Amino acid sequence: MSFNVLIVDDSKSMRGVIKKIISISGFKMDQCFEAGNGREALNVLADDWVDVIMSDINMPEMNGFELLEELRKDDLLKNVPVIVITTESSEERMQYALNLGAKGFIKKPFLPEDVKRILHEVIGVGDDGDYGEDSGDNDDFDF
Amino acid sequence: MMETMEKIREIMTISIFEVFEKMFYIFLEPSDGMYDDYAVEADIVFDGPVSGSARILFSLDMANAMVQNMLGLEDDEITEQDTEDCLKEAVNMVCGNLFGKLDSTKVFNLSVPTFTRQPESLEMGETTHRMDFDSDDGKVGVIVALSHQ
Repeated sequence: MSFNVLIVDDSKSMRGVIKKIISISGFKMDQCFEAGNGREALNVLADDWVDVIMSDINMPEMNGFELLEELRKDDLLKNVPVIVITTESSEERMQYALNLGAKGFIKKPFLPEDVKRILHEVIGVGDDGDYGEDSGDNDDFDF
Repeated sequence: MMETMEKIREIMTISIFEVFEKMFYIFLEPSDGMYDDYAVEADIVFDGPVSGSARILFSLDMANAMVQNMLGLEDDEITEQDTEDCLKEAVNMVCGNLFGKLDSTKVFNLSVPTFTRQPESLEMGETTHRMDFDSDDGKVGVIVALSHQ
């Protein structure tokens, strides 16, 4: 089974890194959409279905908290799992994101293994060894 | 304030090592001397229980190595936008990591990072602390300034 992923981050570099890590982790990705803020993310979601959203918090125009609030209001989108990838470290703000429906966190800086682990935890990929064609021991990520 | 600055200095060193190792595959070590020919810098302003600003300065070879390592690009593929984006993300990660370690029970607000070529004055003030780091890939400097509260 392949998954559609939406990566939301105002840093193009960070979106590229996350996309690359997902690819090399063996996660079977069908389509990978990108957005520079929450507003752009909602525009993507208006046209395309995704299985998981990986979103930053601090972004211009519409931040990650506002995106979570908007998703929660939408009957169709409120069940799409959101993984927050952020430099934000305050427990209060992390709890706030969880209260808004975030399913997991990755703190920047992160290792490829962190991304693989959270995808496994949140959307269950890999439960049946379903990490795609190059499944197996893939912990030694080589950039 | 001196005590706070000393704590920030200690944690900043840990944070910058962690960010550079995990995200840029660069291993820093504290430098004995001060380098004054940095090519670019990324800055961020913070406020919360402690307020001020952080400047991270990069030699050109360091900046290029960071972009290459983070994005998997060759030297001739790097654009100015890649460099700016990458270094702004670096200062954001270093400071986010710093404040999480300083006190994760408190909320710190970070500004949108800014990017500057040819950094100006590296002069130090009473509430300013500077650290310089070396690696095989180039040099990094950090200047943290605390605001009076």
